[in-house]
Amino acid sequence: MEAFCFILTGSFVALSCGLLGVFLILRKMAMVGDAISHAVLPGIVLAYLVSESRDTIPMLLGAAAVGVLTTLLIEWLYSKARLQMDASIGITFTWLFAIGIILISLYTGQVDLDQDCVLYGEIAYVPLDLWILPNGKMLGPGPVWITGGGFLLILGLVIFGFRGFEITTFNPEYAAAIGISTVFWHYLLMSAVSITTVISFESVGAILVVAFLIVPPATAYLLTDKLQHMLWLTALFGVLSAFFGYYLAVAIDGSIAGAMSVVAGIFLTLALLLSPKGGVLRKQKIPSRTVG
Amino acid sequence: MAIITSLPSRFFFISICLAVAFLVGCSNASINDNPPDFSSKEKLQIVCTTGMIGDAIQRIAGDRAQVTTLMGPGVDPHLYKATQGDLRKLSEADLVFFNGLHLEGKMIEILDKLGRLKPVVAFADSLPESRLINSTNYANAFDPHIWFDVALWSEAITNVVNTMARLDSGYSDHYKKNGTAFNILLKTLDQEVRQRILDIPESQRILITAHDAFAYFSNAYGIEVRGLQGISTVSEYGLRDISDLVKLITERKIKAIFVESSVPEKSLEAVVEGCAKRGFETRIGGTLFSDAMGAAGTPEGTYPGMVRANLNTIVSALK
Repeated sequence: MEAFCFILTGSFVALSCGLLGVFLILRKMAMVGDAISHAVLPGIVLAYLVSESRDTIPMLLGAAAVGVLTTLLIEWLYSKARLQMDASIGITFTWLFAIGIILISLYTGQVDLDQDCVLYGEIAYVPLDLWILPNGKMLGPGPVWITGGGFLLILGLVIFGFRGFEITTFNPEYAAAIGISTVFWHYLLMSAVSITTVISFESVGAILVVAFLIVPPATAYLLTDKLQHMLWLTALFGVLSAFFGYYLAVAIDGSIAGAMSVVAGIFLTLALLLSPKGGVLRKQKIPSRTVG
Repeated sequence: MAIITSLPSRFFFISICLAVAFLVGCSNASINDNPPDFSSKEKLQIVCTTGMIGDAIQRIAGDRAQVTTLMGPGVDPHLYKATQGDLRKLSEADLVFFNGLHLEGKMIEILDKLGRLKPVVAFADSLPESRLINSTNYANAFDPHIWFDVALWSEAITNVVNTMARLDSGYSDHYKKNGTAFNILLKTLDQEVRQRILDIPESQRILITAHDAFAYFSNAYGIEVRGLQGISTVSEYGLRDISDLVKLITERKIKAIFVESSVPEKSLEAVVEGCAKRGFETRIGGTLFSDAMGAAGTPEGTYPGMVRANLNTIVSALK
């Protein structure tokens, strides 16, 4: 039963991160997840200074607010200051992280306060993190409900916003020409990414979120040219990574998040070697591709 | 677009199936409001977080319990990540003991939640707030390193013994006997520390370490403590922190400063070099155990052994 809870939580995180990750990769913004994982530090410190508590709710609110701010800053540097996307991401998260460190050394040096000890959860604890109603009725592990709810929201967003995301990702000029607001779809995607990552950090820890945001979409990218296929393959590899990763962790009695990420990396390696389009083992020259 | 329009129903159907399976599967555990009955158990399974707690519980429980410690030697409890095996130990345990005051970081939330299903006891929770140190302006930001004041640790142990005697009432005499014996040992240890600190000349009675873990030691035994960093290990020390320390050491001619088992040595080497440049020779006096004990099977792998090892290192370097 525990196994099912782990795999389910892992799969929900893999699915919500993976579906968003597909669009991030195609927009060359894959490192946004990692950036947010560092950038939330000042949010945590400020939330602590205001609430004087290290409970989950204030920490989550602070982190989510700064998560959204991170994506706004990245976009501003990219579009208004005309820096490259990778430079914008790098500047934003190092700057915010540094502000967090300065806040800690100025105000909270004597308090044990950083992402690791107040925000990042650990997937290994999922079966113990039970939700119990006041009348004693068990609802099962909270993270499963949280990640599951998050997954349904992201799924709805991707299904009903598919056209908008597709056209603004591949053909922003055309989208603008026919009156679709690229800015709107961009901020919609980015807000979804920052809130999903922060909530997933709290449920399962940082490494798993960052890995699932990038690795399964990258694996799918190697195997297909079609956006829909890429989304389906991402979902498939994400769930398979959660499944086999869990059993790898059991076999070696190691970190579950670590094992799931490693399995995702193994799928990527296999795709790299065997991809029908450009697999290393096939040694065929292919013309530059366009996904879509 | 045909695939996409048919997607929602299919996806939602699968999701609902999963949710139902999950509800049926994960909710079969039951919550028990009555205190658990341990009398029928041949041996209790007890899980402890840090080595110091494991050592205390092993002494109190004796052969009544199988005691497991999650965090081994050299582990930083703030950053500890559980494995699949730890989870099994926690869910199979009859009783769980931890330090509290945020020493175990995010894990404490889970331990609190586990406390609704089985007895989960924090050593620090049994102590009155007046005995705890809070060197910040924020409420509830108490220093968790209570074990460095042996008398305070002994107080916590008395409370834990009473808790165990209440929970496993059939063996209450057994626990009380072991607890009393351990407390006598701790009393001797407390006096020993007090005495030996007096061997250090008064002007040298200052303990300089990398991060602030020794506030309780300082209060209890009258030795000043200065740390390069605060309690949080993420904040880097500033250049002024180093130059302030260098100034203090050269002015007061402090013979030695100390490294901790869980913090890198590099920062303190900078301080030693800084003093050398100002013409004063200080040295690294040795490594102190702070958040974890030594390896099992060595003298430092027990609580009294760890306290003595720290004491010997401090006294012989500053005397």
